[in-house]
Amino acid sequence: MYPIVLLSVLGIVVLFLGFMKSKSVLLPATLLFLVLALASNFIDWNQGKVLYFYEMLAVNNLTLAFNAIVLVSAFMIVAMTRGFQDQEEAQPAEYYGIMLFSLVGAFMIIGYEHLIMLFVGIEILSVSMYILTGSDKSNLRSNEAALKYFLMGAFATGIMLFGIALLYGATGSFNLTDIQSYVSIQGRGVSYILYAGLLLLLIGMLFKVSAAPFHFWTPDVYDGAPTIFTTFMSTIVKTAGFAAIFRLLSHSFTPIYSFWWITLAAITVLTLLVGNIIAVYQNSFKRMLAYSSISHAGYLLIAVTSLSPQTENAILFYSLAYSIATISAFGVLMLVSKKKALEGQVDESYAAFNGLAAQNPLLAFVLAVSMLSLAGIPLTAGFWGKFFVFGSAVERGLVWMLVVAVLMSAVGIYYYFRAIIAAYLKEGDIGKIRIAPFYRIILVVATAMTILFGLAPGIFEKLL
Amino acid sequence: MSPTLSLFYFLSFLTVLSALMVVFARSPIHSVLYLILTFFCLSGHYILLNAQFLAAVNIIVYAGAIMVLFLFVIMFLNMKKEDEESKTNLTKVAAVIVAGTLGVILVGAFRKSQVGTYNPYAHDSQVGMVESLGHMLFREYLLPFELISILFLVAMTGAIMLGKREVGERHF
Amino acid sequence: MELTEFVIKSLVILVIFGLTLLIAMYSTYGERKVAGFIQDRLGPNRAGPFGILQPLADAGKMFFKEDFIPAQANKWLFIAGPCLAMLTALMTSAVIPFGDSIRYDGLEVAVQAVEANIGILYVFGIVSLGVYGVMVGGWASNNKFSLLGAIRAASQNISYEISMGLSIVAILMMTGSLSIREIIEQQHGGNWNIWYQPLGFIIFITCAFAECNRTPFDLPECETELVGGYHTEYSSMKLGFYLFAEYINMFISSAVISALYFGGYNYPGMDWVYAQLTSAFGDVAGHNVATLIGTAAFFAKALFFVFFYMWVRWTLPRFRYDQLMNLGWKNLIPLAILNIVITGTGVLFLKPIITALLN
Repeated sequence: MYPIVLLSVLGIVVLFLGFMKSKSVLLPATLLFLVLALASNFIDWNQGKVLYFYEMLAVNNLTLAFNAIVLVSAFMIVAMTRGFQDQEEAQPAEYYGIMLFSLVGAFMIIGYEHLIMLFVGIEILSVSMYILTGSDKSNLRSNEAALKYFLMGAFATGIMLFGIALLYGATGSFNLTDIQSYVSIQGRGVSYILYAGLLLLLIGMLFKVSAAPFHFWTPDVYDGAPTIFTTFMSTIVKTAGFAAIFRLLSHSFTPIYSFWWITLAAITVLTLLVGNIIAVYQNSFKRMLAYSSISHAGYLLIAVTSLSPQTENAILFYSLAYSIATISAFGVLMLVSKKKALEGQVDESYAAFNGLAAQNPLLAFVLAVSMLSLAGIPLTAGFWGKFFVFGSAVERGLVWMLVVAVLMSAVGIYYYFRAIIAAYLKEGDIGKIRIAPFYRIILVVATAMTILFGLAPGIFEKLL
Repeated sequence: MSPTLSLFYFLSFLTVLSALMVVFARSPIHSVLYLILTFFCLSGHYILLNAQFLAAVNIIVYAGAIMVLFLFVIMFLNMKKEDEESKTNLTKVAAVIVAGTLGVILVGAFRKSQVGTYNPYAHDSQVGMVESLGHMLFREYLLPFELISILFLVAMTGAIMLGKREVGERHF
Repeated sequence: MELTEFVIKSLVILVIFGLTLLIAMYSTYGERKVAGFIQDRLGPNRAGPFGILQPLADAGKMFFKEDFIPAQANKWLFIAGPCLAMLTALMTSAVIPFGDSIRYDGLEVAVQAVEANIGILYVFGIVSLGVYGVMVGGWASNNKFSLLGAIRAASQNISYEISMGLSIVAILMMTGSLSIREIIEQQHGGNWNIWYQPLGFIIFITCAFAECNRTPFDLPECETELVGGYHTEYSSMKLGFYLFAEYINMFISSAVISALYFGGYNYPGMDWVYAQLTSAFGDVAGHNVATLIGTAAFFAKALFFVFFYMWVRWTLPRFRYDQLMNLGWKNLIPLAILNIVITGTGVLFLKPIITALLN
């Protein structure tokens, strides 16, 4: 609750700070605001379930933890922007303002208790992302990506809204708890409209987290958007989106699990296959990360589909591990691609990493750790993420799905290791890359967290 | 059949017909005009439901503002030559299958489900009036109502950011 | 509905409709007379005494001109354009209460076509549709100048609609109702809104000028830039419809202004007049006469504003287009928002203090 109010106001403050002559105040101000939001987030900690504003918003430890993950990711990403000082056309005040506002949307869909809040939150999040995707105005690919994302996203929103309307028609309420009591009273005898509404609503939400077959926008958009905003999209939107899906299904629709799990299972398997197999054929590292984000949506979907008591923790841990690893991977990519830029055209292929380890051991190490974590190699956070997810699937007895997932993880190792091989074993003429001190700290912290959670995943559960 | 019911059927017929014409019309200008007609029919439905405020706002916002901007853009695009974008047969078949499946599911769901009953005596006819709507919006729905302003602020910021003239950019 | 009530209502509607048309018709005559007066000449004086048959002569001329449709034009939309303009112009008067009520045979029928809960929004909605007549006509002409004129007119209209709506919001905050009759009745006894909303009134009337495409905002027609604007290709009665719709809009907006800011059918001393009349003619006839006097007051106010439109037209030079847009977006909208804030503060803090002082 508090971060929503705080960031709504502070976002406006950031926009006003843009009027000042010196743009250098924006970055520290935004970081400070994020820290403030993080602190205010924990006011409600351990209060049990608290409802705000006529049952519009529910807050409990789970939603607070998701909020915290989102805020920490946002902090890291904002810290890596370095104030956009080296870009002439950048409008940092607007970028930071929109980023803060989009976090408001993320909090709304993490803690919604009312479907209106879900809708408004998803809209805030999506509209911000459409804008940030197209923020590189001189780049044709960025423009195309923004338009594509906008058209597809608007369509998905329409489908989602139709689903919400049907749910209202069936249950007579937008409130998750009311819907839950309707469903549990009726059991399998619920109105058929409810089934249709639930499916349409799920389609709309799965589109936002880019699950197959609703993933077609993902590669182009992730590829076309400025890398910093790609990072933002692939971590924050995904985390918040999965929190929302999990909340909807676990809170309201557990009684009709036998209905929706088949659909979701099919989508999960398809997502895993599409994400991992197409990622193999990519030559661009950034595009590979786009497909990798699809495949990670698949792993997260396994947890949602199995919906066991463990799922909560599994999703939480997985999104944390995935976010940190993605941020550090994109962080390295941003530095390297800028260094290798030719006539303003950045190089985002695997070949850009050739010979990285020779002069830049730190960057190579960060890249290697993040790739290992994304691939799910032991001693990294990613391994435990996958472990928890698979554990919840085992609990539900979805072994066949597990087989697919493990096979696909093996495929994943191939394309993640290509980057490591390029960095350590290939010859290249990449020079020494200068890293800003703050940027270095963020990369080191992210890597340290990945390893720390990989060595002792128990720390995380202690924190909760 | 009571006059209201026949009016409802007439309006519904008109709504569906004009909505279909939006899709089938060849010229985009005609599409937009049919869409405006659809909005009018929807406003008619709102009035039948005694939700006058929604009806008026629907006209003002959609027909009066958004569709004008649509027309603006379409009129400036010189689409005299009606060059149809050619879709491959595969796309067409896939689209028909997907839309057909969705249609079948929805029709099936509506056929099989019970239509809710209502008690005409307990029904409050004033529920769609602007007074009760205002009370609703500023009490129960206060939070989403206020947060929508964030949505609009983001959209406005983005529009200005993306539309702002850059140094050296050529405008006509 | 009772038959008598129905008949009275229909009569009222027909009379209002006829009066609107008549007033619009004679506005053309009035405009030329006023122009003549201001420019120190006579104006039309040949057709009939003082030239009062001039509008009929104009209409006759319009009807007998060649009705021409350009070869490449979209025929249906070309015809639909002026029809839409006329339709939207005539629809607006439906919710405006021109008078109190007429008593007949124990019935009390309001001098108003429809009493709507959302009256002012209805007016606003229909006004915002007025753009379509212009846009459709301009596009269907298949002429670049027409299209540019139409686009100009439309962008001008939607720009000024925003500040117009915002200036109405202040009124709504004061009265707490969207119904125009309610708004008028709250202004009873010289309690006119103009005393409370001077800023809102100025914004509203400026926007009304822009909405009606009147000088100083008559940018859509501009011989040097756009030939004839959106109706370059129109001739005969289709052109007549466009011009006529403009005059109807003028009258309707004058009526709305007098209803919102100048007390509508209220006039000073009306309670005394009402008491005298009812004691002289009895409850029914006296009431009806009082209503008629109120209606006359309403029309007098509205006609004054029609005159005001003409006065301004022949006194002020027009704006340039960028000045028009700057005025609309950068001045009027912030002013209207300021007005809302001031009104809100007044209603919240000032009103309780004043009522406490008065009691």
